[in-house]
Amino acid sequence: MNAALAEIPGRTSGRTPGNMALALTVNGRPVRVEAEPRSHLGDVLRERLDLTGTHLGCEHGVCGACTVLLDGEPARACLTFAGACSGAAVTTVEGLDGDPVAAELRAAFNREHALQCGYCTPGMLVAARDLVLRLPEADERRIRVGLSGNLCRCTGYAGIVRAVMGVIAERRARGIGPESGAERALGPVGARLGEAGATPVTRPTPVPATAPAAATVAAPARVTDLDAAFTPTHSFTQTFDLAHPPEAVFALFGDIDAVAACLPGAVLTGRPAPDAVEGGLQVRIGPIGATFRGRARIAHDPATLSGAVRGAGADAGGRSATEGQIRYRVEPGEAPGTARVLLDVGYTLTGPLAQFGRPGLVRDLAGRITADLARNLDARLSGAAAPAPAGLNPLRLLADLVRARLAAWRGRA
Amino acid sequence: MKPAPFAWERPASLPALLDRLATAPGSVKLMAGGQSLGPMLNLRLVEPDLVLDITGVPEFRQARLEDGTLVLGACVTHADIEDGRVPDNTGGALQRVASAIAYRPVRNRGTVGGSLAHADPAADWVSALTALGAAVEIAGRDGRRTLPLEAFVTGALDVALRPGEILVAVKIPARPAGAAWGYVKHCAKIGEFAHAIGAVLIEPAAGRGRAVIGAVEGPPLLFADASPLFGGRICPDFAARFDAGAADAALIAAGMADRVARHVHVTVLARAVAQAAGQAPTHVPTTRPEAA
Repeated sequence: MNAALAEIPGRTSGRTPGNMALALTVNGRPVRVEAEPRSHLGDVLRERLDLTGTHLGCEHGVCGACTVLLDGEPARACLTFAGACSGAAVTTVEGLDGDPVAAELRAAFNREHALQCGYCTPGMLVAARDLVLRLPEADERRIRVGLSGNLCRCTGYAGIVRAVMGVIAERRARGIGPESGAERALGPVGARLGEAGATPVTRPTPVPATAPAAATVAAPARVTDLDAAFTPTHSFTQTFDLAHPPEAVFALFGDIDAVAACLPGAVLTGRPAPDAVEGGLQVRIGPIGATFRGRARIAHDPATLSGAVRGAGADAGGRSATEGQIRYRVEPGEAPGTARVLLDVGYTLTGPLAQFGRPGLVRDLAGRITADLARNLDARLSGAAAPAPAGLNPLRLLADLVRARLAAWRGRA
Repeated sequence: MKPAPFAWERPASLPALLDRLATAPGSVKLMAGGQSLGPMLNLRLVEPDLVLDITGVPEFRQARLEDGTLVLGACVTHADIEDGRVPDNTGGALQRVASAIAYRPVRNRGTVGGSLAHADPAADWVSALTALGAAVEIAGRDGRRTLPLEAFVTGALDVALRPGEILVAVKIPARPAGAAWGYVKHCAKIGEFAHAIGAVLIEPAAGRGRAVIGAVEGPPLLFADASPLFGGRICPDFAARFDAGAADAALIAAGMADRVARHVHVTVLARAVAQAAGQAPTHVPTTRPEAA
């Protein structure tokens, strides 16, 4: 097997610790490359093999520019990590030169003006080829649906759809039927059984799971002016009831340290002014964990048993930022001597979390945080011992941060 | 848009995978097709020390019928179901759901087990398989257990897997003879995560039915007994008896405050009901006035 492998000059010798040796068949040619486990197939093709015909757009599976054939089937190169396709056969747009279907598509794209800037075209050709092979007939709707995972911002798709319809119609007229694709093995394309398991992997130096080392933490976002007018992008309300008089609940809200202790994942690290706090909040949505640090300004109005918290913060890398406000009001509950707390939450989120996140997920998280907060507030008002910290409580770690600041937890809420 | 560094391992058997999952230091993420975890890694929303690729376990890449129950290994892909490479005991219901998930290149690698373990409320399988009464089989070093899907999905992106456990298979009961199936999702753009999902499995002859309102903010809202949605009784003319107000009230009770969101969800559920009855929707549901 080794004799058949074409070494990529200078790219496999002296393997860097932590890298993996990767054997692939690319455009019919066996190659062996070295790659970091974190590199995706698109980067391996472009950076290691100089096959720059595979374009990278969004790198999270939405735009379709990086679509290649993996063991003959279309797949997102940006969502296929190096180790996930070890041993697989990869066909890029460069490898479609001699492919008869691709040849017909190129002629049709040319004829129908199905490209302009060309950025989407490599992925579009791979997706179009798949439709030509699989669709029984030149059905415009099914073609449009089939191309919906490949974004083109130049053509408006009209020419592309005409080109694909034309090729399908011609081929079916020539008596070439669709392929069923029923014969392949189960499981993700490109993931071969029994081959890649033996790929030696050197673990990089393990990093403690939850250690946001202070030295590597970027400076948190500056809160330039927390008093400025703020229009949140998203807003929602939360309500919870406590079996304690409204005055007692409101008094507890005046004790910032006590409230923070009741808020899962929160920590205070400073009080730069009587009405301002600095600190952090760690939140977790499924596999996503983020630690926000920042600063907040707090106002209370004893006359109306209401108040407001206004803050801003950023996550550890400073890439996702949030700004938000919570207005709260404590009202008498339905039963005498009980209180109902109304939270009016508004927030703005920018960065990768916003790119991924959907408002509904944030509300679900807020609901769970609010439920914990209510339970802990109730325990404290009842004179119970301080609530046990939540499982992922980062209080001590955060306390060590030299420049830790307040999490805009309301932004996360 | 490049992930933080991680190590990659691909155990070749389930015992090896469970051992590694139990003993690996640092944070570990399991990956099947990587179509949900991949974007999170690329966006650095998730930064594990180690990714365990589970596609090397042969058991995960099998599908079989066991006394009429379809058992799908965790790594069976949406395209495997779409293309009919696995048996079907649902009268085509699974195939239709699978073929409308995201895009073909995603379906070629995305897996049913990965989708359930990821538990995005807006994903198709979480809602569709809950309506079909599916269960998941979970393995740990101490043995196996089976959970109904509604007990497995505990929140948005949150499931009942304990540390060291992995979802190994999905068990889908046969669709009863004469059972009507409706599944409708609402997306602003084809292939994106749904804004609303409605799924119903109605047995008019037996007077039974299940219904799901999905793509809500937490786990799908399951009506294990759907009769309250049909005036308290499920009969052959169930579609005509669909009570939009009852669905709306259930959403209010579940905490969905936004009236527009409720209207969309109730409308989509009504369309699923109409689809199950084999008819076009005949009425626009009315929602109750905004609760105070």
